[in-house]
Amino acid sequence: MTDGVILPQRRSVAAPTWSSSLKVLLRADSTAQLRTSQSLLLAFALPLILLVATGLGKNSAALGGPAFRISLALTVGLVSIGTVGYSLAIARDRDTGVFQRLRVTPAPTWTIMVSRWIVQLGAVLVMAIVVLAVAAVFVGITLPPQDYLFTVLVTLLGSAVFLSIGQAIVGLIASADTLNAAGRLLYVPLIGLSVFGNTDRLGTTVELVSRWSPGGCLETLLSAAMGATAWSGQSWDALFASLGYTVVFAVIGIRWFRWVSQ
Amino acid sequence: MTPALRVTGLRVTYGPVVAVDGIDLEVREGEIYGLLGPNGAGKTSALSAIEGLLRPASGDIVIGEIDARAHPLQAKAQLGVQLQATSFHSSLTLVEIVRLYAGLYGVTLSSSQIRELLGEINLQNEVSKRFRELSGGQQQRFSLLIATIHDPALVLLDEPTAGLDPQGRRQLWDRIERFRKEGRSILLTTHSMEEAQAVCDRVAIMDHGQILTVGTPAALIAAHSDDPKVRQAAHGEVTLEDVFIALTGRELRD
Repeated sequence: MTDGVILPQRRSVAAPTWSSSLKVLLRADSTAQLRTSQSLLLAFALPLILLVATGLGKNSAALGGPAFRISLALTVGLVSIGTVGYSLAIARDRDTGVFQRLRVTPAPTWTIMVSRWIVQLGAVLVMAIVVLAVAAVFVGITLPPQDYLFTVLVTLLGSAVFLSIGQAIVGLIASADTLNAAGRLLYVPLIGLSVFGNTDRLGTTVELVSRWSPGGCLETLLSAAMGATAWSGQSWDALFASLGYTVVFAVIGIRWFRWVSQ
Repeated sequence: MTPALRVTGLRVTYGPVVAVDGIDLEVREGEIYGLLGPNGAGKTSALSAIEGLLRPASGDIVIGEIDARAHPLQAKAQLGVQLQATSFHSSLTLVEIVRLYAGLYGVTLSSSQIRELLGEINLQNEVSKRFRELSGGQQQRFSLLIATIHDPALVLLDEPTAGLDPQGRRQLWDRIERFRKEGRSILLTTHSMEEAQAVCDRVAIMDHGQILTVGTPAALIAAHSDDPKVRQAAHGEVTLEDVFIALTGRELRD
């Protein structure tokens, strides 16, 4: 009991600044990202395999030009990192209580999520550089210097679109198991729609839907960034549509996000 | 002396369901205060509101001299928290987790200091392991280390001995006792009357979101020992568990 115990004097402790909280969270989240072999495989191996595989075979030219091959590889990387990988990692950490443990610390709640977003953007940046480097060195697809810069910038915009889709998924689906299944199912339309945005082989309706889908808009922007097509009114439309997708999905994802699965 | 924690009129609701119905409680400096109650009594909801995980419908929470509702981050910095189900980043090692949580409280520790801390809880050979690779007792010790990494004045423990074997439970009680000697105040929830009697200075029995009674375990037993319901529940000498059963009923709770 308390009687007879001399209590040491305790002073109140100041809460650390948001920047120092964000710094330690970034360090931990990036270490965790690098240790997750499955996410690394999805983020890097899959786009590179596609980049090389789409150049194989006699009819490979029919699939699209060099710009299409790079944009397809980048889109796959973005969906893998931003939508599937991100939403699954968030759902798992939510299920196991990692977020609740972080939320009882004095770190502002927003820093917990922003740290995750920054790590994903960093992964996208590295993925884009690796894809462009492999395309140049091993596949022989090179771009003028300024087009590399535009391509990386458009890829970062694309990552905002696909991250916000991932945020919306994890906001609307509570369980990690359900989300795992939904994520795999979404892989096909998100990538498939970007493929058919520049062809009307499946009909003009599919082509129209495809062109205005998040993947299709990204395809349009990447094509312009790489100089395969001129920057036009359609490019502006794709840019505004991408910004619109980002805002709408982010609002849905943040509005309905729960820190606990139940 | 300013209490370590003062809760006044705390009310927590989930839609139409009232989980905590206007409770008052005060944890004094250096005191171990136990919150007892059957499942669904509102213990974890009350604790979650104090921890800042839930926004209460009404009421005041003051930690030391800090109004937790007005200054939540400042209040969280004074608290050490061990949740009922704790988990950490699954791919980080114990050393990395300690560094992360120390950093979140503004504490800088060198690798050797972290290893020393892990050695104090007998985890010196597990420094490179992941949290999920530890046994239940090791996980509990590690979680408690993280909860107190910043030397908090008030520690909140939600069912800290759940799932521990008798050795693990005794070790944890010793650790809790040491915290008190270091001047910390502790608010814990438990289902174990043995634990409440062994470690708590005062206990509150809670049910249906309300605190039914508060006092030292001995005082509660003395105050209720003549109650016919308590006599009916007792098998021989009246215990805290008999008082608990008499006050909260015998029916099973989910």
